[in-house]
Order: sequence, then structure tokens, then C-alpha cells
Amino acid sequence: MSKTLTISLLEIVGSPLCVASEDGQKVHDRISGAMREGKMVVVSFLNVTSLTSAFLNAAIGQLYSEFSADEIREKLKVHDIQPDDRGLLKRVVETAKEYFKDPERFKTAKRIAMGG
Amino acid sequence: MKISLPEVRHDQAGFEALVQLFARTQDCLLGKIEIDMVKTSWFDGDMCAAFGALLYRLGSNLNNVVLSNIQTPVERILSKNGFLSNYGRVRIPDTWGTTIPYQRFDVKDDRFFASYIEQEFVQRPEMPKMSKGLIKKFRESVFEIFSNSVLHSRTELGIFSCGQYFPKRHRLDFAVADLGIGMKRNVNESLGLNLTAPAAIEWATSARNTTKTGSIPGGLGLKLLREFITLNKGRLQIVSDNGYWCLDQGNAVTAALPFEFPGTIVGVEINTADKRSYALSSEVDETDIF
Repeated sequence: MSKTLTISLLEIVGSPLCVASEDGQKVHDRISGAMREGKMVVVSFLNVTSLTSAFLNAAIGQLYSEFSADEIREKLKVHDIQPDDRGLLKRVVETAKEYFKDPERFKTAKRIAMGG
Repeated sequence: MKISLPEVRHDQAGFEALVQLFARTQDCLLGKIEIDMVKTSWFDGDMCAAFGALLYRLGSNLNNVVLSNIQTPVERILSKNGFLSNYGRVRIPDTWGTTIPYQRFDVKDDRFFASYIEQEFVQRPEMPKMSKGLIKKFRESVFEIFSNSVLHSRTELGIFSCGQYFPKRHRLDFAVADLGIGMKRNVNESLGLNLTAPAAIEWATSARNTTKTGSIPGGLGLKLLREFITLNKGRLQIVSDNGYWCLDQGNAVTAALPFEFPGTIVGVEINTADKRSYALSSEVDETDIF
């Protein structure tokens, strides 16, 4: 069994426009599922032409409610991301870390993520 | 009921004209509302988003809406952008390609909205020669505005958009309007505050503030938009309830409108002559994101 799962945003979203929060949720569910199984995840941004914070918040920001920053740093990699998109993703990650600093918010989010 | 509409430009006075129209008609049910446009000597195309939202709301109260005495230049522009097709006129071709058509969306239409921007703006050869970086930022900005309506407005009547390019002034104006709960109610309900509408808009556009709860973080879309518009030396206007907020040349001003808009309007004006690359974050390494 492969230790690494590679996810193509283009394949999951079905378009180079990664803009909808709902599409971000689909990406999140795959990343989260694989990380829970202990896999390394590589997210490929190849051929993506547009991204929004709403999409990235759902796809990646949300992971900070389920996994520690160390775990994410260790298990999640991104490939073929354009320089300015990289900047946007970094902002989303920083915002997510800040957002989940609030312990009440973190607890509620974790409960939702665990389906409870 | 017959109501006269003055000129509608994309500025505070233009929004005041529209909220005044709403104030006079909001309780109408099963009636006939004639909007007399004989005094409407100018109508900025992007304002069709807000105007269309109001007329749609009137229609949802089973009113019969009629637009009368439209002056020829106004009729031409509102026919080119497809707005008047909704009110009994034939659409005419947009020869110079200066309009981004008027369109209504539902909240599930993110992808449809994205295709509309691609087809009606990005892929059209008549649209302004903008740098690649600027086109990308513009496209992302309007997606952020649309996402904001999807995520926060709770609108049941839809989201409305329209744009207009002004080649001589090197300006591209685009607006998105929704008929949702508005920022004031959203912010005050989420935080247990009692902010005025202008203060609620200011709060929502300020760093790190978000009304989001639950597992998906938020609070970045409007800030990114604000940063981009400041760099681009463009203009960002937001109307929500009776709040008016305008960021122009980096300076934000707020005002209270005399009446309320039943939702939120976000209007951007892009300086299309901007040559900035917008690849500002290239120093972020792929291994240093998380």
C-alpha cells in the first residue's frame, strides 16, 4: 500500500477555477481521510488558474481544527503552486492558526470534524 | 404607483437614489409599479446589479414592474448588458464589448459564476489590455465577493452582478448585490454587539475579523480585496442596510444612507492601466507554508 496520496485539485474540482467553498470541502475530505490513515498527502495545484480564500479555507484551513500544525507540516505537501497562490495559501494557513487559537472555537470545530 | 428615478451613477448619490426607490416600494404587494426613467439621464451599467436586485424583490412580492420613458442612451447601455431583456426589451449586440452582462445567480451557482466571468470578461478580446497579474487579481477579487455573498448573506432570492468597462478612463467597474440579511445583522448576531450598519461594514473589512464559526475559518476575502484595491489605486464601495463604505485611493470613508438596502452590494472599480505584477509573495517557499 502506498504511503503517499497525491491529490490533483483539477481532477477533484473538475475545473481550473478552484473558487467554491463546496469544492474545497471535497478536497478537504480526501486530505483529512488520508491523513487520519497516517498517509502523506501531496496536493497538486498543476493547471489551476484561480483560487479563492473561501476554497482554501475549506480545503486546507479547516485541517487545523483536526490536526496539529506539526502534523500538517509533516504530512502535507503542495506541488506546482504558482508563487502568488503560494502567498495566498500562506495567508489562509496563518488565518486558520489564529482562528483556532480560540479554545472554544477549536473544541466546537473538532467536534464537527469528528462528526459529533 | 409611479416613481421617478433620477440619474444613477456608481457613487453615494447613486446608491441613495436606489435605496429611496426601495423605501417607497418595499411594502407593495400585488401592485403595479411604474418606474419613470425620464429623469434618468445617466445609468452606470454596473449599478444594474443593485437595481436588478431591487426589481427582483418587487417581483417576488408579485408586483408588476414597468420601466417607462427610458432615455435612448440609457436604454442602449441597459439593452447591451442584457438588463432590459428582463423587462420586455430586446437585447442588442455589445459592439464595443464594454459590458459584462447583467446576470442573476443562486447561491449554489459558484461554478456558473466562475464560467460567466471567464466567458464574459477574461476570454473576450474586446476587454481591456490588462497585465496577466492584474487580470488574475481582478478575477480572484470578484470570486471573493461572490463567495462572500454565498457564505454570509443567507439570501433566498439570489445574487446579482453586472459590470461596465470605461475605456477612456481606464476603469472597469463590477458589482455584486445580494438580497440577504446584510452585514449589520450578520455581525451583530454573531458577536452580540449593536453596531450601526456603517460600523458593521468597517468591522467586516478590517483585519482578521470574521463572523464565521465552526470548522471552516474565514475572515480573509474582504481584506484581500481591500489590499488589492489599495495597491491598484481603484475603488471599493460597500452598501449594506443603511451603511455606505467607500475605499478610494487607500482612504476609507463611511456614511449612513437615508434608507436601507435589503441586503449587501459590493462594487469594485479597477484601474486597468495598472502595470504592477502582483506576484508579491514569491518569497514564500513551498516547504514553508504550513
